[in-house]
Amino acid sequence: MLALQLTITGLQTGALYALTAVGFSLIFGSTRIFHFAHGATFIIAAYLFYYMNVSGYGLIAGIAAATAGAIAFGLLLNRFVYVPIQRDEGSFFTVFVASFGIGIVVQNVVGMIFGRGYVTVSTPLSFSVEIMEGLYVAPIAWISMLCAAVFFGILWGFLKYSQMGKALRALADNPELVRVFGLNPRFIAASAFTIGSILVVPAAIISGATSGLNPAMGHHVMLISLAATIVGGIGSVPGTLLAGLALGLAESLALLYVDSQWTEAVTFAILFLFIIIRPSGLLGRSAAH
Amino acid sequence: MQKMKNLFAAFSVLACLGLLVPGAASAKDHTIGALFPLSGPNATYGDVFMSGSDLAVEHINADKMLSGPMSIAYEDSQGLPQPAVVGMTKLVNVTNVPYVLSAFTGVSKAISTLGTRNEVVAVNGGGVGPDLAALGEYFWNVIPLVNLEVRAVMPYLVKEKDIKRVVLIYIDDPFGNSILDELKTTLNDAGGELAEAMSVPTTAQQFSGIAAKVRAANPDAVYIASYGAQQIQIVKQLRDNGVDQQLITYSGYLVPDALALPETEGIIATGQGVNYESEDPITKRFVTDYKAKYNRDPTAYNVNYYNATLLYAILAQALEAEGKEVTGANLLAKRQEMESFNLVGGTVSFQSNGTLLFPIQVKVVKNGQLEVLDTIDFGK
Amino acid sequence: MEAYLLNLFILISIYSILGVTLNFIMGYAGIYSLAHAVFFGVGAYAGSFMAMHFNASIFVTLPVAMVAGGLLSLILALPALRVRGEYFVAASLGLQVLAVTIFSEWKGVTGGIGGLIGIPPLDIAGFEIFKPSQFIFVTVVALVIILFIINRLVHSSFGRSLRAIRDSESAAAAFGKNVPLIKTISVVISSALTAVAGVLYASYLSFINVESFMLDTSVLIMAMVIIGGTGTQAGPIVGAALLLILPSLISYLDFLPQTEIGSIQQIIYGLGMALLMIYRPGGIVGRKKHSETGKE
Repeated sequence: MLALQLTITGLQTGALYALTAVGFSLIFGSTRIFHFAHGATFIIAAYLFYYMNVSGYGLIAGIAAATAGAIAFGLLLNRFVYVPIQRDEGSFFTVFVASFGIGIVVQNVVGMIFGRGYVTVSTPLSFSVEIMEGLYVAPIAWISMLCAAVFFGILWGFLKYSQMGKALRALADNPELVRVFGLNPRFIAASAFTIGSILVVPAAIISGATSGLNPAMGHHVMLISLAATIVGGIGSVPGTLLAGLALGLAESLALLYVDSQWTEAVTFAILFLFIIIRPSGLLGRSAAH
Repeated sequence: MQKMKNLFAAFSVLACLGLLVPGAASAKDHTIGALFPLSGPNATYGDVFMSGSDLAVEHINADKMLSGPMSIAYEDSQGLPQPAVVGMTKLVNVTNVPYVLSAFTGVSKAISTLGTRNEVVAVNGGGVGPDLAALGEYFWNVIPLVNLEVRAVMPYLVKEKDIKRVVLIYIDDPFGNSILDELKTTLNDAGGELAEAMSVPTTAQQFSGIAAKVRAANPDAVYIASYGAQQIQIVKQLRDNGVDQQLITYSGYLVPDALALPETEGIIATGQGVNYESEDPITKRFVTDYKAKYNRDPTAYNVNYYNATLLYAILAQALEAEGKEVTGANLLAKRQEMESFNLVGGTVSFQSNGTLLFPIQVKVVKNGQLEVLDTIDFGK
Repeated sequence: MEAYLLNLFILISIYSILGVTLNFIMGYAGIYSLAHAVFFGVGAYAGSFMAMHFNASIFVTLPVAMVAGGLLSLILALPALRVRGEYFVAASLGLQVLAVTIFSEWKGVTGGIGGLIGIPPLDIAGFEIFKPSQFIFVTVVALVIILFIINRLVHSSFGRSLRAIRDSESAAAAFGKNVPLIKTISVVISSALTAVAGVLYASYLSFINVESFMLDTSVLIMAMVIIGGTGTQAGPIVGAALLLILPSLISYLDFLPQTEIGSIQQIIYGLGMALLMIYRPGGIVGRKKHSETGKE
C-alpha cells in the first residue's frame, strides 16, 4: 500500500517535473541556449500567481498574470542577454554563466519583495481524500496529471501539424536547413522561448499549493529539468517527458529504501550513469560528440 | 609581469578603500556583537531575537548602567555555520567586541572555536541542541537546552495521554540528531517506543512521501524536530496528507507564523517556563515595555536575548566599578565570581557548564493560543 | 582592521588557488567542470581527518589530501573522456550534487551539516601556524608554488598537447597524441592541487562543513575564472580578488539596511556575471573577442 501511495505521489511530482523539463528541453534543443534561468521563470510565474491570489484577484487573473510574466521574462532574457552573447559567437558556457547570473538576480529580487521564507497558496484542493483503505490522494494530484496530459497533447499537436512546430523540430535537427528554407531563426527562437516559458506555468502554480514556494527553489527545478533533458535525450520531447516522470517516480519510490536526504542523489546518480553509459539518452538520436 | 603590477595596484587601491570606510569607535562606547539570521529562510527568527536585545539596550542606556552608550553590531548568520564564521571573524577582528550574542545550534558550534581562541564570550539564547552545553567556558547558554524539553514532555505524554508509539521526523543536522538520541532513551525509560525515525534534509520542502510513511507506521503521535519554515511545511503537509495523530514539537516551533497556521491547532509543544505575572521589578518592566513597544506579548526568545544583553551590562558595570577593562576574559571571570543574577524571570544562576536552568512547560495550542498543561521543574 | 584585511587576503589567496587550478583544466584543456568544489572539499576533509586523528604536520596532511583528491578525480575524468560540451557540464553537475549528499551523510568523517569543529592549526616542522599574520605567508607561498607548477606545465610539451586537444580533439588524436591519457593526467593534477587549497582553508577557519563545498562554490570559482579571464595567467587571481573584495565593501555601506545586504551583494554578483558575459566574454584580463578560449 505504501508503494502504491508513493507511486501516486511520484506521478504527481513527475508530471510537474515533466512540464518544466519539456519547456527547457524545447528551448535547449531548438536553440542550443543553456537556459539555466528557466528556474527563474518558474519562480516568477509562481510568485506572480501567489501575489494575485493573496491580493484577491481570483484564479483566472492569477493564471493570466503568471503566464504573461513567464513569457515576458523568457522573451526579454532572450532578446537582451542571449542574442547579444550569441552574436559574439559565445560558447554555450558563456551563455550558461550569464543565465546563472540572471537566476541569482531573480532569486534575490523576489526574496526582497516577497520575503525569503516559504509561502503557500492555500486551497482546499491540497487536502487529501482517502480514496481507498490507506490510500490518500489530494484533488490537486489529479489536476497535476490532467494538466500535464492536456499540455502535452496540445504541444504534440502543435509540433506535429503547425508550420512553426515543424520549424522548431527542424531547428533542433539542423539549423542550416532552416536557414536554407528561408525561415527566420531569430523568430523561431523567440517562439521556443514563448512555448518553453508557458510550459512552466502550470507546474509553478501547482507547486505553490502543494509544497509551498521559496525564492531559492528555482535551482532545484532547473537541476531536475536539466537531468530530465539529458536522460531523455537532448532534442527529444517525448524522451524528456518520460524522463521527467521517471525522475519524479524514482525520487518518491526511493523513500521505500532510503531516507529522504538521498532522493536527490538518486536523481543525479541516474543522470551521471546515463551520461557515461548512454549519453544520447533514452530516446535521443545523435551521439554526444 | 606588467599584469602582475596592475594586479598589485588594484589590490592596494581596494585595500585603501577598505581602510577608509569603517568609522572608529570611541573608547567608552560599549559595542557587543550579534550573529542572527537576518536573511534566508530563518530570517523570521532574527526579528524575534532582535526585539529582545534591542529593548535591553534601550533600558541599559536609559539607566546609564555603563560609562558610555551601548550598542549592538548585528551580523547576518543566515542561521548557517559558514556565513556565521565569516561574520564572527569580522566581529572579533574588526569591530573588536568582547561579547557576542549567538543563535542556532549549527551557528553556535561553528563560532565557538573562534570565541575560545580570541577570548570572546558567545552567548546563546536561541539554539537548543544539547551539544551546546559542551563548547568550552567562553560559550554560555541563557536558554534551557532541548534535552530538558524532551525529558519533560515524553513521560508526561506516556502517562497522561497514553501515547506509546511515537514516530520522529527530524532534520538531518546536529540538532536533529541529538533529538533522535534523546527521544530514544527518554521514550524507553518512560515505557514508550520510538516506532520509526525519518530524517529530512535541511532544504527539503516536499513531505507527502514522508506523510505516507508516517501513515504506514501508524503511531500514536508524531514528534517533529526541525526549524522555522520547514517545520511549518511539515505540519501542514502531514495534515494535508491524512496524518491525524497527535503532533508534538519543541519550543522552536512557537513563532507567530506557526501559531497563525490553522493546522497548528491541537499541537503539543514544550518551552521554557517564564512567569510573566511575576512581581519582581525587572520582569515587570520588561513585560510592560515589550508590550508597549511591539504591541504583542513577549515570548521566551525575547526574554532570552533581553537577558543575554542585560547580563553583559551587569558584568561590564561590575568590571568598570573595579576599574578593570571589559574584555572577554574578564567578563568570564566576573560571571564565575558573581553567584547569581537578577534577570527577567527571577534570580537565576549558571550551572557549572555555563547553562542556565529554567523550568519547562508542556503546552497545547488552542484557538491559536498557548495553554499550559503542566510545568516540570527539574530542581536547581 | 589589519587583521580583517589579512583575513580577506588569506581567503583571496585560497580562492586564487582554486581559480588557478580550475583555469588549468578549463582554459587549457577545455574541460568545463562544475564540480571543482568537490575536490576542494575532499582536500579539506582528508586533511582535517588526518590532522584530527593522526598528525597535523603538513607533511602528512598535504600529501594525503592530494592523493585523495587526485584519486577521486578519476571519477570526473571518466565522463571527460566520453563526452564534451554541455554533456560534460551536466555530468560534473551530477557529481557535484552526489558529492554534497555524501559530504552531508558520511558523518563519521565529515561531521555532516554540523561539520568538523576544532580542526588543528597547520603544523610546519613543529611550528603551529594559525595567526593570520603568519598564515598569509603560507597561503601566498602555496599560491606561488602552484602558479609556478602550472606555468611550467602549460609551457611544456604537455601544455601544447592540452591546447591541441582543446582546439580539436580529433586532430590531436590524428597527430598521435594519447588523448585519454593526457586528459586524465590534467584532471588529476588539477584536483590534487585543488586539495591543497582545501587543507589550507580547513586549518585556517578551524571549522568546515558541507556548505563550503556545494554547487554555489563551484559556480563561484568558475565565475572567478571567467570574470578574470579564462586561459590567462593572472585572470583567476583578479577574478578571485574582485569577487571577494566587492561583497566586503558592500557590507560597509552603512545606508543599506542590514537585512538586505546579503541580497544586494547577490544581486550585484549576478548582474555582474550577466553583464560581463555580454560585454566582455573573454574576462577582465582576457582578450576582448575571445577567438579561442570559449570555443568548443
